[in-house]
Amino acid sequence: MNAEYSSLETAIREGNVDRGASEAVALVERGYRPIQIFSECIEPLLKDIGEKFSRLDIFLPEMVNSAQVVKAIQQTVKPYMGQGEELSTKGKIVIATVSGDQHDIGKNIVKAMLDVNGYEVKDLGVDVDAADIVQDAKDFGADIIALSALMLPSLPSVRDVIEYTKAVEGESTYKIMVGGGPVSPEWAEEAGADGYGDDAMEAVHVADQFLQ
Amino acid sequence: MKHTTRLMDIVQRSLNGPIKEEQEFNNDVTQGIQEKVQKYDIRIQDEHFINFDDELVDRVWAAAVEFLADCGVYCQSTRRVILHSKEEIESILETAPDNVWYGEGPDAVHEVARGVEDPRRPLLMGSPIGTAIEEEYYVPALISYIQEPEVDVTMAPSMDKIYGYDIRTRSPLEIMACWREIELTLAALRRSGRPGMAVTGLDNSISDVGQLSADGPGGLRKTDLHTFGIISELKTNFEVLNKLTHILYRGGIVDPYANPIYGGLGGGKEGQAVLITAAMIALNIVFMATCVGSSPTHPFHFNNTGKELLIPCSLSFQALARNSHLLTNLTATTVGGPGTKTLLYECVAFFIMSTVSGCSRILGPRSATGSITGHFSGLEARFAGEIMTAACRLTRDEAEEVVRKAYARYEGDLDKKAYGKHFKDVYDPDTIQPTGKWSRVYDEVKREVADWGLAL
Repeated sequence: MNAEYSSLETAIREGNVDRGASEAVALVERGYRPIQIFSECIEPLLKDIGEKFSRLDIFLPEMVNSAQVVKAIQQTVKPYMGQGEELSTKGKIVIATVSGDQHDIGKNIVKAMLDVNGYEVKDLGVDVDAADIVQDAKDFGADIIALSALMLPSLPSVRDVIEYTKAVEGESTYKIMVGGGPVSPEWAEEAGADGYGDDAMEAVHVADQFLQ
Repeated sequence: MKHTTRLMDIVQRSLNGPIKEEQEFNNDVTQGIQEKVQKYDIRIQDEHFINFDDELVDRVWAAAVEFLADCGVYCQSTRRVILHSKEEIESILETAPDNVWYGEGPDAVHEVARGVEDPRRPLLMGSPIGTAIEEEYYVPALISYIQEPEVDVTMAPSMDKIYGYDIRTRSPLEIMACWREIELTLAALRRSGRPGMAVTGLDNSISDVGQLSADGPGGLRKTDLHTFGIISELKTNFEVLNKLTHILYRGGIVDPYANPIYGGLGGGKEGQAVLITAAMIALNIVFMATCVGSSPTHPFHFNNTGKELLIPCSLSFQALARNSHLLTNLTATTVGGPGTKTLLYECVAFFIMSTVSGCSRILGPRSATGSITGHFSGLEARFAGEIMTAACRLTRDEAEEVVRKAYARYEGDLDKKAYGKHFKDVYDPDTIQPTGKWSRVYDEVKREVADWGLAL
């Protein structure tokens, strides 16, 4: 990586929002275009951070903090973008733990992994019912709905979301992926989900396949 | 019990504590743990599975108490934090029970607070700990545990379906499932000749409706263990507090658990040691637990038999044993499933670590991560009990040597999903005896472990 990016890299890895934003501005003022900074530094860096987390060389708080620095940088460099230029994301995802289920750490890990792998993710929280998930997906302009369930009796709620989404919005408006302890690939297929992720890394892989 | 008189105080603290958004509380947990790890110099210098450093353990305790006093427990229903000062925490811990009887009549068993390298045997809760199984195998699978003399108390599996229908949280189906759990569990106890054995319930009560219904006359008994989980990390809500209130009004034994996630808000090994300790203390302080339990979890493998969790569990439970008289328990969650040597080696490591580190009770093993329907059997509980009994005679040095050997046998399998076989493939469901093949695997590993110096 270009040595000019080293301070920015450090700020992102350390989760330092203020320093990350100021380093990004400094780079822009030195003639680097925002799109260039993202493609040459930030995107590969986030991928590396995601891979480090997948090996548990770093942990969730570090990954989340790095993603937050990048979000701050996105806002900070917007005024410097040229006409017609925009920072692209791979796609938009809403993620939720389904109705009746309060568990969120698994969902949070998946969200953080999707964040660092180039997706724009809206976290709807826990115990979210089908209608709210679909409404939020519409409002957000989501491409993918990601559902998490940790308990076996939560699976009917996952099925509810799949059936409701398809009934109200059509069969292929959204891609739906599911995951969590009791979810299996066989169950996911039978329930009508478009994809299944065994863990956070697989969730990224499934999302990538959806939006190829 | 004398330590369960603070219910209204806890409820009022949940209603009047400081307001905080949940993400802010999560940040408090992360930053608080990091700060205490640094302040108390919690560093894992070497890679022993069993902790040998008593001063480190005592620093983990001090860090955990201070962290809990600063951070508290979050109530999602009110967006407020339930706080207790350090002095209150220390005072309340003095009233915690140090022993309890479970069960009835000749099947009653006595759990006591244990110390590090304590020669007294912990209790074994032989059980698949919530793993689901099909209705037709529910009773034989449960009997496969109850019939083992090493098993002191048990916990029913989850129901895969109720009368052929999917179970749904917060619906009549959940209530039906909880009553069916009790009906079948009591039948299994009677058939096994241990009708007074205590069980933990209600496994099928995800929300409070199941607990409030089937924890009462005709349902879960007062001498059973009444369980619920708090939400990771250090969170509760009115559904959980409703369960607690009901249990207390029934005069039941409060048996909650907290399952920190490795690599989550608590970070790595050092942070997990502090977080697990703090969570156990919180179970007593906020939830007035009779016994406090944990099954910390790997975020990708969903087990706790890897080094990253064996080490902090040893640290944490030694901290609890050295600095309190809490009744503590750990659940073994293995990657390996029935029919595999992996499962048995994992049991060796986990049950020895837990015994030597001062646990009062050890649960499981929850085979095949507890997430593969029907992948469990009583034979691994028998094995685990035998390991546990032998481990009571070990010093930490001796335990370390055996755990190291066992770990070397399964370390390469931790990411291989060696989930083994379904109950029906390793047991005859009619005679409820293990198959010859599974018995031979058990015999082979038992001989090998005996050769390592464990008195089996």
